[in-house]
Amino acid sequence: MSSSKKILLALLLVFIAVQFIQPARNQSGQALATDITKVYTIPENVQVLFKMACYDCHSNNTNYPWYANLQPGRWWLERHIKAGKEELNFNEFGTYSARRQMSKLRSIENSIEDGTMPLTSYTLIHKDARLTNEEKATIIAWLNETQDSLTLQN
Amino acid sequence: MKNSINSIVSVAIAAIALTACNGGNNNAEESNAASTAVTQTEQQANSAETVAATPINGVVDDYLQLKNALAADNGQEAASAGNELMDALKELGASSLTPEQKQVYDEVQEDAIEHAEHIGMNADNIEHQREHFDIISQDMYDLVKAFDGVQKLYVDYCPMYNDNKGATWLSATEEISNPYLGSAMPTCGEVKEEIN
Ligand code: HEC
Repeated sequence: MSSSKKILLALLLVFIAVQFIQPARNQSGQALATDITKVYTIPENVQVLFKMACYDCHSNNTNYPWYANLQPGRWWLERHIKAGKEELNFNEFGTYSARRQMSKLRSIENSIEDGTMPLTSYTLIHKDARLTNEEKATIIAWLNETQDSLTLQN
Repeated sequence: MKNSINSIVSVAIAAIALTACNGGNNNAEESNAASTAVTQTEQQANSAETVAATPINGVVDDYLQLKNALAADNGQEAASAGNELMDALKELGASSLTPEQKQVYDEVQEDAIEHAEHIGMNADNIEHQREHFDIISQDMYDLVKAFDGVQKLYVDYCPMYNDNKGATWLSATEEISNPYLGSAMPTCGEVKEEIN
């Protein structure tokens, strides 16, 4: 066997071996009382957009794509879910203080305006998570409305 | 077969994205070393004034460093000031506070520390640092209002930032030096309020 073949074989074995590493799935299946929809009234069309474009990484329920059954796809996704949930969890929005809720709304708006979310590496594969300009405008309009009404309350 | 080729290609893309995802921070750290030296001399100049070196003044100092760095369009220096501000905020929490101060601190700290941390992580993205600075400035305003013995501060307002939604910041000088628009519009803004 030539050495390049040996290397290929070794890589293949590693590839197969890592398939057995399957961490627990981010799927709680529960509708939480702290969900963002319990904090604000969110129109159905905006909710759908958040679910489609953001919930995989920013909620307790990831809709696992086919590549998550393969390593390192799973590993890659799981890392984003962990980091993403630390920043923002739509299912646990109600646990944030009023101040943090406000500032999260601002951050969501910024991230959509700047086009930094959803992550490009994700929309590369998840084409349905790409937000059109119209969809962005719909979300931002709702965000602005909500922030304005909250500022008035305070 | 077509499917499995697809899978392999996608996995390869994922692997590349994986390594690309966290790459941004390294060069920031190298050039931080240089800018901390500058920051430290500035800090010494600051503390030569009459203000006592209390934890709240440590917070204000770091915030003002951050503001100056943003006004100078210097994301690296803003990042190191952001990190220092994060530490100073934590120190403030560990110091002895009156019940009223503790109440304000508890309300503000989680948010403020998070934004300071993000400013620290985004040395290569000054626009993003400014977005966080906008939010942390509100936290800072509420915080300093709860303390005595803070140096004189000006609350400045620039109506143009963020698509004319406007933003405020705190400054030690009456003269405007805009941290949101930087050298593009250094004097945009006006004093809205004076604290102390
Ligand atoms: C592929 C996973 C993924 C998807 C999908 C995703 N995010 Fe994120 N998000 C992350 C990760 C990882 C972070 C933390 C690290 C970072 O900022 O890059 C993050 C951070 C954030 C932050 C905090 C950033 C900051 O600096 O303030 C906000 C706000 C955010 N995401 C909003 C969204 C919104 C809104 C959507 C949907 C339109 C979305 N994300 C979709 C992974 C994702």
